[in-house]
Amino acid sequence: MSHAVWLLQEYMGSGLIVIWFLIALLYLFVREEKKPVRILFVYVPLVLLFLFFNPLFVKVMGSLLGDEIYYRVLWLLPMTPTLGYVIVKLCVALRGKRRCLLTVGAVGLVVLSGSYIYRNPFFAKADNWYHMPDSVVKICDAIEVPGREVTAVFPLDMVQYVRQYSPVVCMPYGREMLVDTAWNDWAVQDDLCDVMESETVEAERLGQLAKEKGCIYIVLPGKKKVKGDLQKAGYALFAEIEGYNVYRDVTFAP
Amino acid sequence: MNGLPVGIKICILAFWMIVVPGLVGGFFGTSRNELNRGKGRVAYMWVSGQFVLWALFWMICVPCTLLELDLPYVVYSYGAISVLLAAGGAVMVFRHWRQNGRHGLKLLRIADKGSRIFWGIAALLLLLQLVQAVRMTYADGDDAYYVAVSSITANAETMYQKLPYTGGTTGVDIRHGLAPLPVWIAFLSKVSGIRAVSVAHVAAPLLLIPMTYMVFYLLGRKLFAGKEKRIPFFLIFTELLVLFGDYSFYTVENFMIARSRQGKAALGSIVIPMLFVLLFVLLTRLQEEKNCGRAYWFLFVCVMITGCLCSTMGAVLCCLLVAVTGGCAALCYRKFRILLPLALCCLPCVICAVLYMLNG
Repeated sequence: MSHAVWLLQEYMGSGLIVIWFLIALLYLFVREEKKPVRILFVYVPLVLLFLFFNPLFVKVMGSLLGDEIYYRVLWLLPMTPTLGYVIVKLCVALRGKRRCLLTVGAVGLVVLSGSYIYRNPFFAKADNWYHMPDSVVKICDAIEVPGREVTAVFPLDMVQYVRQYSPVVCMPYGREMLVDTAWNDWAVQDDLCDVMESETVEAERLGQLAKEKGCIYIVLPGKKKVKGDLQKAGYALFAEIEGYNVYRDVTFAP
Repeated sequence: MNGLPVGIKICILAFWMIVVPGLVGGFFGTSRNELNRGKGRVAYMWVSGQFVLWALFWMICVPCTLLELDLPYVVYSYGAISVLLAAGGAVMVFRHWRQNGRHGLKLLRIADKGSRIFWGIAALLLLLQLVQAVRMTYADGDDAYYVAVSSITANAETMYQKLPYTGGTTGVDIRHGLAPLPVWIAFLSKVSGIRAVSVAHVAAPLLLIPMTYMVFYLLGRKLFAGKEKRIPFFLIFTELLVLFGDYSFYTVENFMIARSRQGKAALGSIVIPMLFVLLFVLLTRLQEEKNCGRAYWFLFVCVMITGCLCSTMGAVLCCLLVAVTGGCAALCYRKFRILLPLALCCLPCVICAVLYMLNG
């Protein structure tokens, strides 16, 4: 199976919307009389689809855009306006009850064929006006030092938020650790991250690696098992915030 | 700005996000061109004003980034020119109202009385999306780059010279610097005093989601010219298609609602649909054998530059759409001369793409 076909399948996902779009395209090809509409909603999408599957075009655009985002060529297909236009055109062609029935049917078709966006599992109720987890906001507020940057090591589930909220909190590793190494060539491996994410954290090893990376703070989930004493490794408990223990380098004087 | 009360900060932000684009659009709203006919000219004014400002921002920010200048250069130069343009636009609108008396107020009319109930449904669906944009958050890993760049730029006042994931200085990241939408968010943060993270996650969707539907409205106005009662139906269905457009991770609707603050979302949901509007107008004018006018071509260039502002990929996609539509139009109408102005409109994108490849 070619890369373009695979991408189209991925783009279509679970919904039937793309199929309705192709049917709408066919309908316009047969029935539409306005030339500008025919060009923009029929000929242009057909040429774009032809190009999308053309191996030479795939090669050229793949090298320009990157293979993994080649699917964005499909954004040039006017799916939403075409479907909206055809539905309205079909509805107004009828009168009375038939028009009502078709309108309700079209609404039902869209609802059943698509997927409600706010049901996406990545959506969650925002904790605050920053749209950041409360834990990140409170920890960053607690460790920020006016007039300078501080380096802190965070659990992986927090790294993508920290520098969105506070640009003065630096980290020894960031979001690059969350990326699948098999998929992205910029993904990396980090010893400190391995220790932080291990089931039982070895305090001495953690303290040693954190010092090497210049970390003033270590943030660990409260429930995390810690083997050994972080105090002996040079980090004392600074605060307990939102279920996280924040340790600070004992030699640090803010 | 940081010491101001929150209410004042929000007013300043609203001034830059709503008032200034609306006033800049006064140049378009009072000029004679195909898009500036009939009802809904206020939407056209606002949308065109925003595109002009975005194009201006790109033209100021990219050279500053390449020359390693700091954010204040961008803030002061862009801010000053924007205010001057807004003042000029305001004068144009005022003169238009004075010359046309009560008819000048038609600029603000968008709806017929008979279709108000359907306009109401469309407005309710939009309101739902705006409420959800404030109430809900979407965890997307790419924000760790884009929003962090906005936060760092607003704080450190350098552009693309700090590592967004971890911190620390680095050489100028020219490839990302060619699409400086995150710096525009930093600009809004800087002038309003509101944290960049809030501007990106809360304020930007409140601006960009309605703008998307304004563009769809402009498209509907052209598609259903002379049959304006159909426009609210069209809008209702486009809104439903967006709301139920999460059938895969890759759809433009997913990007629009979930990741509005990212340039690629603005590219897919605002810039490309605006190109559909402009290209549809061009096709109509070609059929009528009439010219589009200077304002149209100026707006066209601004939209193409906005494509570069949103994403470096935007430069390629916008050119592709224009080339394919231009080719189809030239063949269908046997008017190959149309390809020249279209090619000229693509020039900024070509320059952007060349700079991108030179720094690859």
